[in-house]
Amino acid sequence: MPIAVSHFTRTYGSFLAVDDLSIEVGAGEIVGLIGPNGAGKTTTLRALAGILLPTSGQITVDGHDLASDAIAAKKRLAFMPDEPHLFEYLTVEEHLRLTARLYAVPDFEPRAKALIEELELAGKEKSLPGELSRGMRQKVVIACGLVRDASVLLFDEPLTGLDPIGIRKMRQTIVARGRGGAAILVSSHLLHLVEEICTRVVIMDRGKKVADGTVAELASRAEAAAGSNLEQIFLKVTGRE
Amino acid sequence: MIGASAYIAWCSAKNRVRVRLRRLREPRYLIGAIVGVAYFYLTIFARGRRPGVRVNGRGGGPPALPPQFALGAAAIGGLGALALSLLMWLGTAKSGLLDFSEAEREMLFSAPVSRRQLLVHRIIRSQFGSLFASVLIALFATPVTGSGRIRLAIGVWIVLLTARIYYAAVSLSRARLQSRAASTRLLARLPLAFLLVALLVVVTSIVREFRDVVVAGPGDVFVHLTRVASAGMPRVVLWPFAAVARAPFAGASADVVSGLLPALLVLAVVTAWLLASSDAVDAVAGQGGGPQEKIEKRAAKVPQAARSVGWTLPLHGRPELALFWKGATEMVRGTSANALRIAIPLLVVIVGMTSAMMGASGMRQPAGVVSLVCGLLAGVSILFGPQMMRTDLRTDLQHLELLKTWPMRAAEVIRGEMAWPVAFVSLFASAAIVTSALFSGTALPNQPFVDRWSLAIAVIVAGPALVSAQFAVHNMTAILFPGWVQLGSQRTRGIDAMGQRLIMLAAVLVSLIAFSLPGAIAGGVIWLALHRLIGNVVLVPAAVAFSVIVLVEVLLVTELLGPAYEKIDVTSIERPE
Repeated sequence: MPIAVSHFTRTYGSFLAVDDLSIEVGAGEIVGLIGPNGAGKTTTLRALAGILLPTSGQITVDGHDLASDAIAAKKRLAFMPDEPHLFEYLTVEEHLRLTARLYAVPDFEPRAKALIEELELAGKEKSLPGELSRGMRQKVVIACGLVRDASVLLFDEPLTGLDPIGIRKMRQTIVARGRGGAAILVSSHLLHLVEEICTRVVIMDRGKKVADGTVAELASRAEAAAGSNLEQIFLKVTGRE
Repeated sequence: MIGASAYIAWCSAKNRVRVRLRRLREPRYLIGAIVGVAYFYLTIFARGRRPGVRVNGRGGGPPALPPQFALGAAAIGGLGALALSLLMWLGTAKSGLLDFSEAEREMLFSAPVSRRQLLVHRIIRSQFGSLFASVLIALFATPVTGSGRIRLAIGVWIVLLTARIYYAAVSLSRARLQSRAASTRLLARLPLAFLLVALLVVVTSIVREFRDVVVAGPGDVFVHLTRVASAGMPRVVLWPFAAVARAPFAGASADVVSGLLPALLVLAVVTAWLLASSDAVDAVAGQGGGPQEKIEKRAAKVPQAARSVGWTLPLHGRPELALFWKGATEMVRGTSANALRIAIPLLVVIVGMTSAMMGASGMRQPAGVVSLVCGLLAGVSILFGPQMMRTDLRTDLQHLELLKTWPMRAAEVIRGEMAWPVAFVSLFASAAIVTSALFSGTALPNQPFVDRWSLAIAVIVAGPALVSAQFAVHNMTAILFPGWVQLGSQRTRGIDAMGQRLIMLAAVLVSLIAFSLPGAIAGGVIWLALHRLIGNVVLVPAAVAFSVIVLVEVLLVTELLGPAYEKIDVTSIERPE
């Protein structure tokens, strides 16, 4: 299983951010991770990316334990955070090159060229982050994530700051990567996006997983009215109806 | 707006104190606070009780200087303030007073308040920093006690406030010089014109004074400069500068208020100048929009493409080298032409000081000056370079989220982050040593060639090890105490932060000694064994032994730090507002 989270718990001091979470994401699956603010979504994604260590529990990426075999696990995953962290004095092209070097990407030049076209970064290759809009910086982060053949993709609010064309392209990109066999976990508050592109949805609330399944399964379990959309299901499941 | 600004300043200060108190629950911060309080107690309050330490009586003010010396000090202070004002016009860095935080930009620029009110808000908000610094200076001033401290603090506060407001006004005036409106440009030129006239008057008088005299020493220079600055036209043009420079010592005079009055008058004029320049706030603060949009567009020269560094990162190789390349690229691009504006005057000062030292020691040849300057530069860069050059984990902790996703071993990240700054400081120091050695023959003709070059080679060999050890210690402290590291220009304040800095300084010194000791012992043994046989050439093998041992230690430390790096919690890093 590309992503396997087993009894993952994370605390910040006395605050319990994620409580005994277990989820799995298979190859080719696009799983939406949704929940109210403070539900523990970003903590989960950060732990999956190897940024935070679990307080307890186990996380494996393609069978590699993130705690004991971190390098092998990290080689297989790409994390695209909601806040674009870029180096102030490296250009767009240099960010991609640095990533390619660290992940030993074999055919960097054609990949980078294709990605720059795909993400509409053409003409910005020599630009520094300070010269780019927030949306453009977000695209650079995504390009760094996609420049390698990661089998696990983690997106935290991937559409933040993107224009309508960018949003459409990003949707297409995520779906295409899923069809290509990558296991994808997308955290977003845009429920229509999640409903549209995800094959399965995990709902978290107050650090716990409160629902897991396809939209139809969730609707059925939540006893939502026929034809309910994800927003209605979400409100019902989280008790905020 | 004044009420709102005071509210923001008060709430921010109150909540900052609350956060500081809350974090004292963590033992490391508590220890920091205890050390800070103890340091304060021992250096300020317990000082007077120590035997042999005598302080002024109750309410003793700032030191009352002898009249002749006081006159000279004020005049020289005025000259210094004039030079500082000129530097402010030469530099292009944005004034801290105009450095609006993200929150201020989002909330206040869109609020129905004038730019002048925004400036008043920034002045009010900056008071905590200025007051804190003034109080600290007053507390640490040795001969001052009681109400004298308050008087000294007020004087220092006036100086700091005037300097801060003056620099902000200079920043705004520079932007106004770009204005298309002739009247705006003319008004912006007035303060600059005054400064240049003052400079012309003072420089002309100094040249005249020194033209026909032989200077016997530094004391003589002081006497002549005092004579120039305290008479005639120079005295007139230097009056505002001297008035501010005198403020901290006003408490020593009989009437404090009249002593401070001239400085307060200058402060009022400078503040009026700042507020009158408020139409350029957008241009300087980088907001855009409004009437200054055109000025901003002309003034802001955002590069369309990053400066080429002439080195493309190869796609294969050790990951540490990728970080080495990153560090080099960042430094090349981050060093602007503005840095030269500071570096060149600094170099002039160093050369001037060195010439004076050489003159005093009888080595007047230019070669001697070059040799000594380069030797000093090498020493300073080896001893202080690792403290000043922070392009390692101390800076990149703010990118920790990204670093931790990279498929690299923690030790590789640490070594990679250290690699470029170590190489740069070492190469710089080595170049300085070689230059110093090349000119040392003329400077020190009595020293044998072999001795001079043995020493130079030994320093070139041992320098990088010493530099590596220091970077290792700094990165070790960053990893073990990430909450204590200052990111970028961020500066944490408070008693616990002061305690932390003291602990860090002590830890760095102790660790450095611990690092160097085995190598120094090995070097010492080699010295003892071979010095009688080969003379001072023994310095070279001793330095080699020292370097090898220290570098192995550095390598071991980076490996040992791995688990600690993995455990760094991104939430433990303190970020600026």
